Parts: sequence; C-alpha cells; structure tokens
Amino acid sequence: MQPVVLLISLVLMAALSAAFWLAARAAHGPAPGPGANGKRTGLIWAMTILGVLVSAGSLRQWPHALAAPGDALEVNVSGGQWWWDIDTTEIPAGTPVLFNVTTEDVTHGMGIYDSNLTLLTQVQAIPGYTTRITYTFEEPGSYRILCMEFCGVAHHDMVNEFEVVAGEE
Amino acid sequence: MSTASENFTSGYAAAEPQTGAVKLTMILSGAVFALMMVLGLAMRAAQSQWIGLDPDLFYQILTAHGAGMVGTAALSGAAIMWYFCGRYLVLGAAIFWAFLGLFLLGVALILGAIFIGGYGGAWTFLFPLPALSGGAWEASAAAAFMLGYTVIGVGFLLYYLELGRRIHARYGSLARALGWNLILGREDNDPPPPAIVAAAAVTIFNSIGIILGAAVLAASLVHLLVPGFEVDALLAKNLIYFFGHVFINASIYMAVTAVYEILPEYTGRPWTSNRVFAIAWNAVLIFVMAVYWHHLLQDVAMPPWMLVVGQLVSYFSGIPLIAVTAFSTFLYVRGSKMTWDLASALLVLSVAGWSVGSIPASIDGMISVNKVMHNTMWVPGHFHTYLLLGEVAMAFGFMAWLVRGRTIARMGGLDRAAFATYLAGAAGFVTVFLFSGAASIPRRWAVHYEEWLAHDRIGTLFSLLVVLGTLIIVLRFAARLRRSQG
Repeated sequence: MQPVVLLISLVLMAALSAAFWLAARAAHGPAPGPGANGKRTGLIWAMTILGVLVSAGSLRQWPHALAAPGDALEVNVSGGQWWWDIDTTEIPAGTPVLFNVTTEDVTHGMGIYDSNLTLLTQVQAIPGYTTRITYTFEEPGSYRILCMEFCGVAHHDMVNEFEVVAGEE
Repeated sequence: MSTASENFTSGYAAAEPQTGAVKLTMILSGAVFALMMVLGLAMRAAQSQWIGLDPDLFYQILTAHGAGMVGTAALSGAAIMWYFCGRYLVLGAAIFWAFLGLFLLGVALILGAIFIGGYGGAWTFLFPLPALSGGAWEASAAAAFMLGYTVIGVGFLLYYLELGRRIHARYGSLARALGWNLILGREDNDPPPPAIVAAAAVTIFNSIGIILGAAVLAASLVHLLVPGFEVDALLAKNLIYFFGHVFINASIYMAVTAVYEILPEYTGRPWTSNRVFAIAWNAVLIFVMAVYWHHLLQDVAMPPWMLVVGQLVSYFSGIPLIAVTAFSTFLYVRGSKMTWDLASALLVLSVAGWSVGSIPASIDGMISVNKVMHNTMWVPGHFHTYLLLGEVAMAFGFMAWLVRGRTIARMGGLDRAAFATYLAGAAGFVTVFLFSGAASIPRRWAVHYEEWLAHDRIGTLFSLLVVLGTLIIVLRFAARLRRSQG
C-alpha cells in the first residue's frame, strides 16, 4: 500500500505546487476574469463530492478488522520499558491471528514488520487497556515487532522477533 | 507598485503602536527557529551516523526541538496577529509584554528541565511517561517541564483575553467579528476585516485548547507529586492531543493574517471578508477542534465514531484551506503586476506550502492508510511541509516586510539566494521524510538501521540547506533592523 500512497500524494502535491507556480508566473498577465468565483464554487463542490466518495469507500469495511473470525489464533503481546513479550513464537501462515496487546507502564506502539522491514500493521498499547487487531500472515519468514510510540531513552531498542511457519495444508 | 504600497501603509502608520515589541519578538523567534533547526540537523546527522549522539542526549534534543519549534511558531504567529489586529483595535501594550515575559520564563523552565534535569519525554508528554523515565530523569525535571508549559499557557490566555475583550468592545460580539452577519446576509456597515475574523476564531479555539491542556498538565503534575493519583491514560492522551493539535494549528491561523494584510500592499487589491470567507473561518473553528481524533486512529479502544469523525474532518478541513485561502491567493496574485521581493515571495510560498502539506496529512488521516503510516517518518514529512514551508515562511515573510524600504524593490541577489536555498532545502527535506515514511522508517528513533541510512544522509544534506537559508534570512533581518533603527 505504501508506494501507492506515496505516488498519489506526490502527484497531488506536484499538481497544487504547479498551480501556485503558474499563478505566480501569471502575476504580469491578465487579471482573473468574472468567472473566477464560479470556479471556486465548482472546486468546493468537487472536493466535497470526492471526499464523500473516498470516505464512503475507505470506511465501508472497518479498517481495523477488529472482529476476528472464530478460528483465529490468539497471541498475547505485552510491552514495557523496553521490551516486547510474545507468548507465541511460531505463527502459522494463512491463519487469522488476533493480537491482544497490553503495556505494563507507558504507552507503546506495536508495529509488525516483515523481513524486508515493511510495516504491515500496527496498534497502540495503552496503559489500562487491552487493544486488539487481527492480521493474517501470507508468507512464512521472520517478522519483527518495533516500537512505534516514543516511550523513553531505549525506545529504539524495543524490538522482538517471531517466526511465521508454513501452515497445515 | 510603490504607489499602491504607500496608499495602503499611510493609513495604518499611526495605528501600529507596538512595533518595537513585535520586532523584538520576531528577532527572538528568528534566532530560536535557527537554533532549533540546528538541533534538527544534529538529529538527522546522528541518524545518518555522521556524528555520535548518546540516545539520552538525542531524546533530550528531540524534546527541545519539538517544544521549541511549536512554541516559537506560536510566539511568532501571536506577534504577527497582534501587530495586524493593532490596525483595528487598541490593544494594551502591558499585556503583550506580560505575555512575552511569561513565555520567556516558561522557556527557561523547559530548557532547564531538558538540559539540566535531563528530561527527554518528548513535547507531547504522553501520560504517564513523564513520571516513568527508567532512571533517565527525576520527577522534578518533568515537573519543571510541565510548569514551563503552564506558565506559557497563562501568558497565551492573557493574550487571548485581551484580544477577545477588545474585539468584543469594537465589534459588539465575537459572533459579529466571526462574520455571522455576512453569513446570514444581514446588512453590516462595518464588517470585520479578515485579520479580525481570524483573530476571533483563534481566540475561541485556542483558549479552549489551552484550558484543556492546563487540565491535563495539572493532573500530570499532581501525579508526579503523588504517584498514587492515577489518570486514565486514554483520557489524558485525548486532552494532550486536543491541546497540542489546536495549539500548533493556531500558530498558522494567526500567522496567515500577514498574508491577508501584506499581500494587498503588493497587489493593490484589498483582501476583504465576504460570505465564503466567513463560512470558511467558522468551519475552521469547528474543524480544528474536531480533527485531533486523527492522532488516535491506532487507539482501537476509542469509540469508532470518533475515529470516523477524525478521518472525515481531516479531509474536509482541506476545503476551507485549499478552496478558499489558497484559491483566493491565486486570484490576488494573477494579473496583479506585483513586485517579487523577499516578503511577497515568502508569503505566497507560505500559502502554497501550507496547502501542499495538507495533502499527505489528509491521506494519512484515512484509517486504512494510517495503519501503515502512523508514527513513521511520513508524519514529520507532512507537518514539516506545512510548518517549514507554511508558518515559518509566513513568519520570515512578515520579518522581511517589517524591515523593507519605503518603496518595494525587486529582490536583490542575496535575498534571491536565501529564498532559493530555503525553498530547495525545505522541499527536498520534507520529500525525503515522505519517502522514508513510505519505506516504513519509524519516527523518533535515535538509532537507525543500515537499510535506512541513505534516507537519513540525503535528509541531512537538505536540512543543511534549510539551516543555511534560514541563517541568511534571519541575519539579513537583524542587519536591516539595526539599520532602520540606527
């Protein structure tokens, strides 16, 4: 997902930058015509309609995937300054995994990374709460949990690993 | 072009009584911006492994950089808005000096907490991190840091009370100053100018933000003194992000008054309030307070409807910005025959940077995207875009305008070099952050993996350019200030 997000962002940012650049270059050109205010109204409506469509599309299925299917494997992850504890070190591929995430002290962020150091999913660990997310690993391999929320002087050392193994056929 | 300038400035000359205090505030702001950028450069160089920084010191610098930049953005924004509101209101000079004095006292407490007490809990002071340092700092250092915030908050409340009081006296009510007559189509012989509409909105939302910030600061201070006093961490996080988000947004919404008031001098076209403008600012007043939930999208314990509102408002708050402020800027600039000097170039750039930065912010505000972007380098990528190329550019543009000559002249070679260096450095710097975020590099890490070093090193080089451009702009301001007062 990340490359697509980057590409869309850069294209839109470049387009808006170009609009400013062209307006600046047109400072010594003709003044805006009488239809300028109509264009503004059109832009407001276009942004509103686009926003409604994108919002409806992106929220139609709740993005956090909290409702784990009945056959999900439960894995408990607890964090503290500065460690992650995982109660299951071998997770089968292709099986939905429900992570129950807790913290013993301050707020942490549990980010799950694949072997290429790409962030797959994340959730915050909040004192006094158990936060839950579901994720299904497709590929066997070594995965890492990195801390995503600043939690003190060894924040960057708060890393642990687990393995995803080939699931039963 | 100079004729238009003289027409606009002559009417205001008698109504700008606190220029000295504002100039002092701006030179302080410029110096601190430069210093904080040097701290930012040091962090990028440490992540690049080009210099060595102990993680303890790195996180102290991270804390100072965050608190320092947010504070200075707000300070410079407040000085700009005070200056332009002074064209329409009689504001008490003693209040501004009290505000500045309290601000500096707060800064002294914060710097002492960080560099003497060793506090490194980040500017967001997420509860209960300040009390749980793992031995890195004492509770007294965390308390000094929070007292520093509280003192600054008291100064800002004084500032807004004075502003609100004077707006009420001059325009009859805050509602009228917010342009409700324009919205409702009622006749108004004395409609509020754009700077007053902005001041009324910011006075309301930032006062509410600061009061809620004070509540969580007080609770955290009690927790430091009496560890048995517990606060719900999620409630505390809501209060902190409400305060933090509103406060940093207020800095840009205050500084944009420079665009409303200065660009007309260059274009000869006054920037007037109309119905769409008033609706946009009333929408901002609501949106800026409702949007902070997008900081909590990975807190699944939050009620889902709040997260949905966070996503929706993240996007829709772009409409007043892009379709009203940015679009109006296009219209004001096109065919204006304006002269490009450092002030006008930086002010137009600031609206562009602010608008462009809202794009990656809105996209990150989608819950499904946030899942893989939250707390990666993507986040400093988008907020550095609308702060470095938005608020800071507004502040620098205002500074250049304050010390301009009597007539507007084209940009000289050094100004042109400063502008180009700053723009190239900042654009490259934020783009690297966005690429790093897309590469899943987490933010706020003192030590980086080998795989991330190329990003860090390119980012360091661009940040060096930003520092260089800033130094030229700030030193030019100081030199011209001396000459104009000599």
